[in-house]
Amino acid sequence: MLLPKFDFHEPKTLNEACQILAAYGVKAKLIAGGTDLMVNMKKKILSPEQVISISRIGELKKLDTSGDSIRIGSCFTVADLSTSDAIQKHLSALGEGAKNLGTPLIRNLATIGGNLGSARPAADLPPALMAYGAQVVLNSLSGERTLSLDKFFLGPGFTAAKPDEILSEIQIPSLPPHSGAGYINIGIRKGQDCNLVNVASFIALDTDGTIRNARIVMGCVGPIPLRASSAEKMLIGQKPESALFARAGAAASLDSTPIDDFRGTAAYKRDMVGVLTRRTLDIAFREATHRQ
Amino acid sequence: MSEYTVINSRAVRVDTPDKATGKAVFIDDMTMPGMLYGALLQSPLAHARIVSIDTSKARNLPGVKSVVTAAEAGLVKYGVSPARYDETLFCHEKVRYVGDDIAAVAAVDMETALKAVSLIEVEYEELPAVFTIEEAMKAGAPVLHDNYPGNICAEVHSEFGNVEEALADCDLIKTTTFQNKRQDAAFIEPQGCIASYDLSGNLTLYSSTQVPHYVQRTVAMVLKLPVGKVRVVKPYVGAGFGIKASANPLELSACLLSMKTGKPVKMNYNREQVFQYGRARHQFTHTMTTGVKKDGTIMALKHLCYLDGGAYSSFGIATVYYAGSLLGGPYKLPNMKYDGYRIYNNKPACGAMRGHGGVAARACWEQQLDMIAEELKISPIELRLKNMMVAGDVTCNDLNMSSLGMKECIEAVKDGSEWTAKKGKLPKGKGIGMACGFFVSGAGYPIYRSDTFHGTVIVKLTEDGGTALVYTASAEIGQGSDTTFAMIAAEALGIRLEDVRLESGDTDFGVDLGAYSSRQTLMTGHAVKEAAEDARRQVLEVLAKELNVPVENMDIKNSLIEFKQGNVDFTGLRTRYSKEHRGWNDNPADGPLTFREASRIAYLSKGSIVGTGKYKPPELGGKYKGATVGTSPAYGCSAQIAEVTVDEETGQITVDRITDAHDCGLAINVTSVEGQMEGSVSMGLGEALFEEVKFDKKGHVINADLAEYKIPTMLDMPQIKTIIVESNEPNGPFGAKEVGEGAIMPTIPAILNAVYDAIGVRIHELPMTPERVYLAIQEAKKGKTG
Ligand SMILES: Cc1cc2nc3c(=O)[nH]c(=O)nc-3n(C[C@H](O)[C@H](O)[C@H](O)COP(=O)(O)OP(=O)(O)OC[C@H]3O[C@@H](n4cnc5c(N)ncnc54)[C@H](O)[C@@H]3O)c2cc1C
Repeated sequence: MLLPKFDFHEPKTLNEACQILAAYGVKAKLIAGGTDLMVNMKKKILSPEQVISISRIGELKKLDTSGDSIRIGSCFTVADLSTSDAIQKHLSALGEGAKNLGTPLIRNLATIGGNLGSARPAADLPPALMAYGAQVVLNSLSGERTLSLDKFFLGPGFTAAKPDEILSEIQIPSLPPHSGAGYINIGIRKGQDCNLVNVASFIALDTDGTIRNARIVMGCVGPIPLRASSAEKMLIGQKPESALFARAGAAASLDSTPIDDFRGTAAYKRDMVGVLTRRTLDIAFREATHRQ
Repeated sequence: MSEYTVINSRAVRVDTPDKATGKAVFIDDMTMPGMLYGALLQSPLAHARIVSIDTSKARNLPGVKSVVTAAEAGLVKYGVSPARYDETLFCHEKVRYVGDDIAAVAAVDMETALKAVSLIEVEYEELPAVFTIEEAMKAGAPVLHDNYPGNICAEVHSEFGNVEEALADCDLIKTTTFQNKRQDAAFIEPQGCIASYDLSGNLTLYSSTQVPHYVQRTVAMVLKLPVGKVRVVKPYVGAGFGIKASANPLELSACLLSMKTGKPVKMNYNREQVFQYGRARHQFTHTMTTGVKKDGTIMALKHLCYLDGGAYSSFGIATVYYAGSLLGGPYKLPNMKYDGYRIYNNKPACGAMRGHGGVAARACWEQQLDMIAEELKISPIELRLKNMMVAGDVTCNDLNMSSLGMKECIEAVKDGSEWTAKKGKLPKGKGIGMACGFFVSGAGYPIYRSDTFHGTVIVKLTEDGGTALVYTASAEIGQGSDTTFAMIAAEALGIRLEDVRLESGDTDFGVDLGAYSSRQTLMTGHAVKEAAEDARRQVLEVLAKELNVPVENMDIKNSLIEFKQGNVDFTGLRTRYSKEHRGWNDNPADGPLTFREASRIAYLSKGSIVGTGKYKPPELGGKYKGATVGTSPAYGCSAQIAEVTVDEETGQITVDRITDAHDCGLAINVTSVEGQMEGSVSMGLGEALFEEVKFDKKGHVINADLAEYKIPTMLDMPQIKTIIVESNEPNGPFGAKEVGEGAIMPTIPAILNAVYDAIGVRIHELPMTPERVYLAIQEAKKGKTG
């Protein structure tokens, strides 16, 4: 398969990248790791005239846990996410997603920004990030804005980023004590698989042990990663226990809107949402009881 | 300790340094001066009449050197089996599947070639298409090939013994239906080739093929060239698994384009085209009825099978025969009836793939045998041992088990897996299962009817002594055959492996039918051995004369001449050798006479020492129609035990461990035998759990890549314990027989039986994806509660 012809840019700073992007608008595509974009270009699904690499921009590769939110640069690689102690400590569900993404070769190239930018309903990182309440920072020549990840995805391959905007950073509010999260993805095989269903759950406990806050995010069962809102509601104010988690799973199943496709039937995916919701809540609860 | 000095050991493969460092040359690495790039125009429709083809725009595109269609290629029919030549290089009246070849272009670069293909205008009249066996067999269904009404490509009806009579006397009769799915072999290297036609009218084709010999004949026949003008050379090949075991449209197109342009032409399939071309494992639907006595004695098998064939025959006639005949063993089965049908439809043709024709049949039957064992309250191992043949037994369909280490294999996996401690004692969700299988060591007959030798080999000693050059047309495709044959040559000649240099895969070296039907170790191996022994004899005969010592009193071992009786004075020879090598500082000065000296002396006396070898199977049993498919000089056999964990809430299966014993007669290279066993497990596991080529409603493959067509990854692979059983096959060189395909036979049914052991639910359809397993569990629960 041959790539379509294109011009290649390799800016050194975010500002320079914004300038080039502003100049070409919809004719341009950003490339980070290229593991999503290159496939689409080889298949001729996308044929941008201009390709702007952001992988030489140092300021986009940071991981900063010093403030009251954790800040991850958009070009931070999935391989680094999967091995980072800080991620494991603070954002284990995100680390789990990273470990399960693609193969070692893909993870070495793939970036967190690219994973969000590609806006695939089955992607491994959005559920955990949304469950943690992440925000994205979008930059353009006209400035910077912050957007909740809940509002970022518009549909398969479509995001709220404007043609001249670059996702520079992902911000995750520091986790409250007695909170935890879990992530599970299932596919056909154990490695390098497009997910059939993936779910991340987050819960925060009150001092009395009841659930103060819950976020459940389901991938593969809608055009974008979905919040299981009725399941979340059912949890709040309740004492965490397995029967409750099972009921939440059943509710999440009903919250999901899967379709039949060649990878699996809607009915199976719906049932798996229930199983994975229960299992990720179990993990989240276990973590919450340990986090001070 | 082995009685051998070279074989029956762990040799480093001769291709290891080149492959490990990336120096090994595959088609993709090759270029030639002035080389053009070819591309194919392939049908976007599954079934259509071709109204017109206009190539003028493509021809006028700058950089395009040739455009060929059926008008230029002619309409010589070809295929695999002469009885069903049903393809032409390019379609002329109609196309029969998405991907059917219509035209080819050669241009200065790939971009131009692809652009030119897009400029060819074809007017189609779309025809109704059929995609399943049911659609294709319906009354009034559209017919793909006019001379095959009802879309029946081939049918087989055979009966050995009397099945109905035997069933009437049985205590238990079990019927099950089983289905696998169309597979892709997912070899690493897509098909590719370079054809180069020279100014004297000689055509050389470099191709990623398993069968240089058959490709040579097909190219010559289709392009109307004398066979002597066609040379096929196989560089390193990234596997084939059966799909590269016949000439393909790339090879024929590249040859035609090179003949038209006088320039080398390179062509490749991309991964999507690999899927579109197909020719891998069929989808089989087996219905088997087995009758047994109370004590577990198997009495009869009634077997009906439908093969989803695709648009052309390819290997399909052999496949439909194998699907029946390979159940004749390894159990004693006095009565067997088989009705098999291969059905055409508008999908890519299926063909031969590892375990040709026998894999799904074996899976169906071995699962059924477990069901029977359970009902009779006999352990699955006991049932199998009770019915097992032994060496010397002949099946009801005349397959002669000249060696059969089947019982040894069963005992080995039983012990190796600690079966007794586990069977029936595992927690819910964990299971253990076993199965057996066997396979031919080479087809007894060539694909075309012929008295040809199946392999000829030349061993030539270098004139300055010391090195044996082995020339064989056999095909190293990654399985390790070059190393195996170098080892056999070294052993037979009496020299060290490093004193052998081997060249293979070139039709100029002789005849070799190639790498399919697990034939090379036995068949090419025989020819190598004979050629090496011939060279050895010639050297020893000269020595005998020179030293006045009878040939029987001499031997060659480790590249040294051994005299069996007394001291022999060979100083005269040594002096002659040294005199010819004045200035050399490594002339043998003391110690035994070396092979280097001896072969030099032999050359001085006789000229070049060339040993030749050949092999043709002996007259094999079976006089009935179809007896040529399944008969073989020997059969390899194996047993496997699988241990699995099933997540009953999601249906996900994890294969934790496979214990695998294979009887390969004698392991020439132990490491390569284990490699085949492990590779077979991987392939069988993929077919059992993940793999299925899927189509949309218009006949396009929708998972034509290795992201969506799922073969096992490293993470999916179980721990494998390989145990080699050696039964010393009387018809094999040094007692060796196959391991390449037979090793895959037990994998799927062992997993099926282990899954049942884990969840108590039988699954009769592959692949066992999480969803299929989950649904089966749900169904079973409903059955229990409702
Ligand atoms: C073999 C294979 C296996 C895979 N397996 C998985 C898997 O298991 N799970 C999974 O989730 N994904 C998987 N992917 C998809 C892909 O690897 C990931 O989504 C990866 O995170 C993409 O990152 P990237 O840096 O390579 O993105 P790129 O390909 O560089 O970009 C992807 C898209 O995002 C846009 N983009 C990139 N960076 C930015 C930015 N900073 N701001 C705005 N837009 C941006 C690009 O313009 C492009 O449209 C797989 C891909 C392959 C080829």
